Amino acid sequence: MYLLVILAPLMGALTSGFFGRKIGEKGAGIFTSGCLILSLSWSTLIFYETTLNSSTTYIKLWRWLDSDLLTTYFGLQFDSLTATMLIVVTSISTLVHIFSTAYMDGDPHLPRFMSYLSLFTFFMILLVTSDNYPQLFIGWEGVGLCSYLLINFWLTRIEANKAAIKAMLVNRVGDIGLVLAMFAIWEEFGSLDFSSVFNTAAVVAEGPSTGGHITLICLFLFIGAVGKSAQLGLHTWLPDAMEGPTPVSALIHAATMVTAGVFLLIRSAPLLEQAPLALMIVTIVGSMTAFFTATIGLVQNDLKKVIAYSTCSQLGYMVVACGISHYSISLFHLMNHAFFKALLFLSAGSVIHALADEQDMRKMGGLIKSTPFTYTMMIIGSLSLMGFPYLTGFYSKDLILELAYDQYYLAFAHWLVVFSALLTAFYSIRLIYLTFIANTNSKKEVFMHAHEGSWNLTLPLILLALGSIFVGYLTKEVLWSFQATLPPIIPISIKLLPVIFSLLGATSAFVLYHCSARAFSVPTSPISLASYAFLYSAWQFNYIINYFLVRNVWKLGHLMTYRTLDKGVLELVGPKGISDRMVQLTQGISNLQSGLVFNYALIILIGAAIFISGTVWPFY
Amino acid sequence: MYYKYIVVAILLLLLGVLGIVLNRGHLIIMLMSIELILLAASFLFLINSIVIDILIEQIFTIMILTVAAAESAIGLAILVAYYRIKGTIAVKSLNWLRG
Repeated sequence: MYLLVILAPLMGALTSGFFGRKIGEKGAGIFTSGCLILSLSWSTLIFYETTLNSSTTYIKLWRWLDSDLLTTYFGLQFDSLTATMLIVVTSISTLVHIFSTAYMDGDPHLPRFMSYLSLFTFFMILLVTSDNYPQLFIGWEGVGLCSYLLINFWLTRIEANKAAIKAMLVNRVGDIGLVLAMFAIWEEFGSLDFSSVFNTAAVVAEGPSTGGHITLICLFLFIGAVGKSAQLGLHTWLPDAMEGPTPVSALIHAATMVTAGVFLLIRSAPLLEQAPLALMIVTIVGSMTAFFTATIGLVQNDLKKVIAYSTCSQLGYMVVACGISHYSISLFHLMNHAFFKALLFLSAGSVIHALADEQDMRKMGGLIKSTPFTYTMMIIGSLSLMGFPYLTGFYSKDLILELAYDQYYLAFAHWLVVFSALLTAFYSIRLIYLTFIANTNSKKEVFMHAHEGSWNLTLPLILLALGSIFVGYLTKEVLWSFQATLPPIIPISIKLLPVIFSLLGATSAFVLYHCSARAFSVPTSPISLASYAFLYSAWQFNYIINYFLVRNVWKLGHLMTYRTLDKGVLELVGPKGISDRMVQLTQGISNLQSGLVFNYALIILIGAAIFISGTVWPFY
Repeated sequence: MYYKYIVVAILLLLLGVLGIVLNRGHLIIMLMSIELILLAASFLFLINSIVIDILIEQIFTIMILTVAAAESAIGLAILVAYYRIKGTIAVKSLNWLRG
């Protein structure tokens, strides 16, 4: 039964991938969705058994790496963390599968798409259920691979190809961190099993010289998380990943891919606890990510990019929660975020579907009349994202802000995340206003045909909306119980601050866009234009990386290693140089044979003289 | 006592060798230089035969004379045949077989 939760998505992926032609587009959709529903129901049962009945389950499958120094099993571990992640992954993935059958309807490659989606889910489940680092790494790389395949789903588009390669390569940078962390863990602990490593972490950290090693391990792990969870520095792949179809964005951003990094941090909590310095860095990077991506989200014009940057921002919150040692709160926010972010993405998909694949918010507007259902869903998702009281986001987001305030030595992180809450509210309302409320800017024929989707497009939205409203309230006691979390005692003003800020941001966005929209169109000074361009181009991060890093690496690769070394020095001392030299030498030698008899006579004479002197000389 | 004779013989030998090496002219001069070398060698044999009083070197000399005669006969025959084909016997033009 525990194995089935993993195998069902794999079965769906294989069947849909290999026999997609046999079972047809409809069949592939139904079959993969059915497998996912099976997986979801089992994971609910697993949640009941392992978490509510607190019976952690370990399954050893077979030996994998088997040497004297290191023995690693294929093993599964179902504890509270895994069960929660399973619920998140399978439920979001199931809904995305159902949504995809409607959204991708008419696409000739639907079986391939469903196969990739199921494979993605399979690798993610493998990631969260593993009981050791190498097996986690299989899932880690697998979701990277599937993100490549899915972003690149429309493989005839050059932009999709570039975005997919970027996602793959930027992720690899983080993966190197994870590999290094595994090496360091092996060197330090002699084992890669979670149970062995975590139980000895405190003892090892006590050792005279190894405190620094634990810090190093945690920093390497964090580099892995930075790559996968799109934190500051390696976040540039995430907005570009919008080139894939919208359900893919929902899957990548809500439930699976980006949560893997946070999951790694939560899973490695016993290690992180031994490294205060690493925790500090985690907090700082997370809070900076939250703030910085929220500012970018303010000015983006692409519907999906706004939501993508908000994903980055919310991941920053989760990382901050990890950094201040409140891992279960981080997991709680991860779960809640999965629901409302999936809702937002799928609603955006519904909008895009209604407007005949238009993604630019400047060409939308007025959809409140034609698609009131999607509007409602978007409102629920956005309010939840803003942390509106009594919706899902409120229970985790505000708690993270309060807990960040409690860590007095990181006041700066607290203020960064509080301000990003303000910005979050602003861009959420901006998105809703420009898409639904403002006067329409779309073409008449497009606007006239704007419509709601079929039942399998709307049903996932309804379920996710229910999740976005109730999940936080229903599960908060359960998730808080994973780790003793006391709401901190802080001034009431600080407690109210996030809500006030959110309301302020929301109101100001609405007022600015509704009443004084002219404020945006007055002739602007060069400074404001420059700052707009600066924010719009994501703080020029892509430019900086491309200009200072990628370009130099390419130059290095072409000029130094290829032209100077491979085709230069090595060729000269290697095959080409030697053969040229040999040809010259033999040419010179054979030129001695001029065909003139007297030269031959001279050569014979000299040769005879040398020979005679050589034989005679030693005897004198 | 026979030192002068030996010097003369060696000088003759060197002259013959130089005649082969420095000769850019006719093949006949080359043949004549070879004859000179052989004669110088025979001369050395004879001198040595007198000096160490052994007869076998004189026998060698007679055999060398025979070989030299045969050699010059064959050499001249080749020369004539070559002249018929080429129309000249300049050594310089004898460079068909380059390496």
